[in-house]
Amino acid sequence: MDDYLPILILIILGFLFAALSFVGSAMLAPKKRPTAAKIAPYECGIVPTIEPPTRFPVRFYLVAMIFIIFDIEIVFLYPFAVIFRQLRSFGLVEVLVFAAVVFVSFLFLVSNGALTWGPAKQLVRAMPSRTSESTIARITAGPGGPGGYRDPSGPGPGGTRTTDPVPPITGDPAAPAGPVRAA
Amino acid sequence: MAAVMHGVLLAATATGHASLVDWGTFVVAAAIVLSGAIGVVVARNPVHSALMLVMTLFGIAVLFVLQRDDFLAAVQVIVYAGAIVVLFLFVIMFLGVDRDENIATEPLRGQRPLAVALVALGVTGLLLLGEVSKWTTGALSVAGSTDSSTSNVAQLGTSVYTTYLFPFEVTSALLVIAVVGAVALARRPPAVVTAPDPDDELVDESAPAAADAHQEVTP
Amino acid sequence: MSTLLFAAASGAYGAKIHTPHIDYLSILPILIMMGGAVLLVTASSLFRQVMGVGSATFITVGTAIATLVAALFQWDHVVTHGAKVTIAGSIAYDGFSVFIQIVVAIAMLLTALIADGYLKREGIDGPEFHVLAMLSASGAMLMGSANDLIVIFLGLEILSIALYVLAAFNHKRAESGEAALKYFVLGAFSSAVFVYGIALVYGATGSSNLPQIADYLSKNVVASNGVLLAGLALLLVGFGFKIAAVPFHMWSPDVYQGSPSPVTGLMAAIAKAGAFAALLRVFVSSFGTLRADWQPIVWGIAILSLVVGAFAALVQKDIKRMMAYSSINHAGFILLGVQAATVRGVSASLYYLFAYMFMVIGTFAVITVVARDGDSGHQLTDYRGLGKRQPLLALAFAVLLLAQAGAPFTTGFLAKFTVVAAAVDIHSYALAVIAMASAAVAAFFYLRVVVAMYSPVGAVGDLSDLDAGELDAGPISVASPANAPVSVHGQNDAVASLSVLTEGPPTSAVADRMVRVPGLTTVAIGLSVGFTIVFGIIPGPIVDFAHQATLLFT
Repeated sequence: MDDYLPILILIILGFLFAALSFVGSAMLAPKKRPTAAKIAPYECGIVPTIEPPTRFPVRFYLVAMIFIIFDIEIVFLYPFAVIFRQLRSFGLVEVLVFAAVVFVSFLFLVSNGALTWGPAKQLVRAMPSRTSESTIARITAGPGGPGGYRDPSGPGPGGTRTTDPVPPITGDPAAPAGPVRAA
Repeated sequence: MAAVMHGVLLAATATGHASLVDWGTFVVAAAIVLSGAIGVVVARNPVHSALMLVMTLFGIAVLFVLQRDDFLAAVQVIVYAGAIVVLFLFVIMFLGVDRDENIATEPLRGQRPLAVALVALGVTGLLLLGEVSKWTTGALSVAGSTDSSTSNVAQLGTSVYTTYLFPFEVTSALLVIAVVGAVALARRPPAVVTAPDPDDELVDESAPAAADAHQEVTP
Repeated sequence: MSTLLFAAASGAYGAKIHTPHIDYLSILPILIMMGGAVLLVTASSLFRQVMGVGSATFITVGTAIATLVAALFQWDHVVTHGAKVTIAGSIAYDGFSVFIQIVVAIAMLLTALIADGYLKREGIDGPEFHVLAMLSASGAMLMGSANDLIVIFLGLEILSIALYVLAAFNHKRAESGEAALKYFVLGAFSSAVFVYGIALVYGATGSSNLPQIADYLSKNVVASNGVLLAGLALLLVGFGFKIAAVPFHMWSPDVYQGSPSPVTGLMAAIAKAGAFAALLRVFVSSFGTLRADWQPIVWGIAILSLVVGAFAALVQKDIKRMMAYSSINHAGFILLGVQAATVRGVSASLYYLFAYMFMVIGTFAVITVVARDGDSGHQLTDYRGLGKRQPLLALAFAVLLLAQAGAPFTTGFLAKFTVVAAAVDIHSYALAVIAMASAAVAAFFYLRVVVAMYSPVGAVGDLSDLDAGELDAGPISVASPANAPVSVHGQNDAVASLSVLTEGPPTSAVADRMVRVPGLTTVAIGLSVGFTIVFGIIPGPIVDFAHQATLLFT
């Protein structure tokens, strides 16, 4: 029966943890709970009859899928962890080859920006030094200058940067390109 | 009923004679599994359903341990209770946690009686097959008996890392396909035009890929 | 702490596990193909800015050629040293497997050449296409040399999952996504059926290793073999789906039509090569003792495929759908060799796979270029007047189609002849007669395309103001203006000759304008046509090759 003592302790610990979580959240949480009316989309008495259709960027699902893929690796690593001493270097090489190949896919993900969140951060990286000097340099360089203009109405990625040498000055996408070209 | 339970228990324990602790563990785990499974179906809140599913999966893991299948038990917890349910929760959170499911209406007409009928049919079939059929089967296991002194995770590991070494290595290619394929499919269609974003018009020539990548998340 | 760890370590050191010997030569082509894909992923991740479609094509073509060279080296080695089973029984290293590696490597090479022009035209960026194609090819190669049901299943999954993604690769076409979804759902279902079959066979014989299964079946008389036969049937369903044999063919017309054209060619060539290789190895070699049980079923599937494929293709207006039914018909022919289950039958099937690979990839290369920008011109009417506008292209297409129909002096004729001969050999006269009748019916729809190509365009008259300069600029790539210069860059002398020879009067309709044939695609079409004709006239080498591959079948 002694063998089951650790299990008993574990069960007690589990219950303690659960109980503490409840007590802790009850003590620490703000007392004012939002009511259903308060968290409604329109806080003015209009009750939405149908759920508004929501669309999610496919990126979220991508992250979820990638999580599963890398989680699956555990299935292989667990038996390896049990017998890696008996396998000696042979097993180590095996697992390293496996891990290296999977790591390549991780590298691919990072370089593709699949794990980068939000557009804003990327945009900061996309134009690293946009100072007044660089803007002046860009304008004076004229056609063929360092800056490229992304035509918002043009096609997206896939070699889409048009060679249209129009550096916008104001940062307003609607700004006509005419004056610059004339200059 | 008791005889059936005893039979199930005998099947559940590898030694053939069930000790009191085995019996007790089985009953508790089975109760957890069943109540969890019922909870998944009955719970109105999808998050509660998912948590009930976790409970069921843990119960099954305990049953696996009872059958001396350490590996399956661990994988059950790590992959199913860990990853798959997290994925479920992920999606549930997206679609709205506070959405109550009205379980009184049936989206598919007649699916409940059909489900009951199918389950009854399946169980009957299994019992009949176990009783009637005398189909020949070959050797019991390629990796040796699970009743030996070494743990069966070690046995499985030995199998995977020696006999099935090549399939194991090749699996990595499958994972690469999964990642590359997911990225290729999730990529924004090139011809679709996004609304002009005030921050979006200046793109550094030297980093087209990065600039392309970020656009996907623009709703 | 460290001493404790050390003590535990030394305690566990006792029993060293016997590790298998790895014969790298036996898996060299697979390793090269997979390595090429991984290399391409790595390179494109590290040098994302400089890697375009061109460099991805370069790496892919290099990998395919290296794979081919390695496979030829293997062939030499197998012929001199004999066949063997390597890596703990999971890989069969014999003439048969090497043959399949060669077929798949060539298919990959041709597809890479065709896809280059296609990707540039459609403005699809990035190396993913090539990575997935290479991995898919490695899956087919794996199926060819698999000696264990588990390895076959892994090969099948690698082959299929990559193809599911490739089918969806053209974002601009809604059909592409639809095709991928259909292929994925049905393919996943068939994979499940297949793996269930593996489980039952394993339960019945106690092994998933093919020679061990054969050994068990030859030593034991299975009295009540319900589990075994059920497993066998499920395996056949799984294979039947992959080779698109009736009645498991439902996916193929939609998927063939929707997938990007180069992908369809690759799919038709390597999925058939890989699945037929595994089918032959499992059924003829492992379950040879159960021949009496499965032969009638394969007989029925073959007849259904021959008849349905030929007659359904007759009524198709879309050329890719037509090719899908034609590929079902071809699957029926190859099944003739499987059904024979003799050395002659297996070698005939292998020869057929080799010939079919060149024919179908060449055909889809032409379809790719004729479809124009957007990959949409697949109607039969799009081919009207092609013979006048671009005689060389039309001639190449005619040759490939006639070869598929089984015209003499092409490999297609010999392929059909050998499988029918194999069927006659085991006295399956009915099957042989039906096969020949279906070939006659099939010839009709192939000829329909040829006739369309050489018939004048309906309403010419209206000569527009299009001049030669505009024609040379190629199709107006509305979606991706930035790609036009790249495509022009890819032209070479061969294309120029193709273009110069076309003097058809330009008309106002876009459909009547010339299509541009990228240089690399020209090479691929040239190779396909060359192989089809040269080895159709001099059949000896390839027939011997297939025969020898079968003799070295373990």
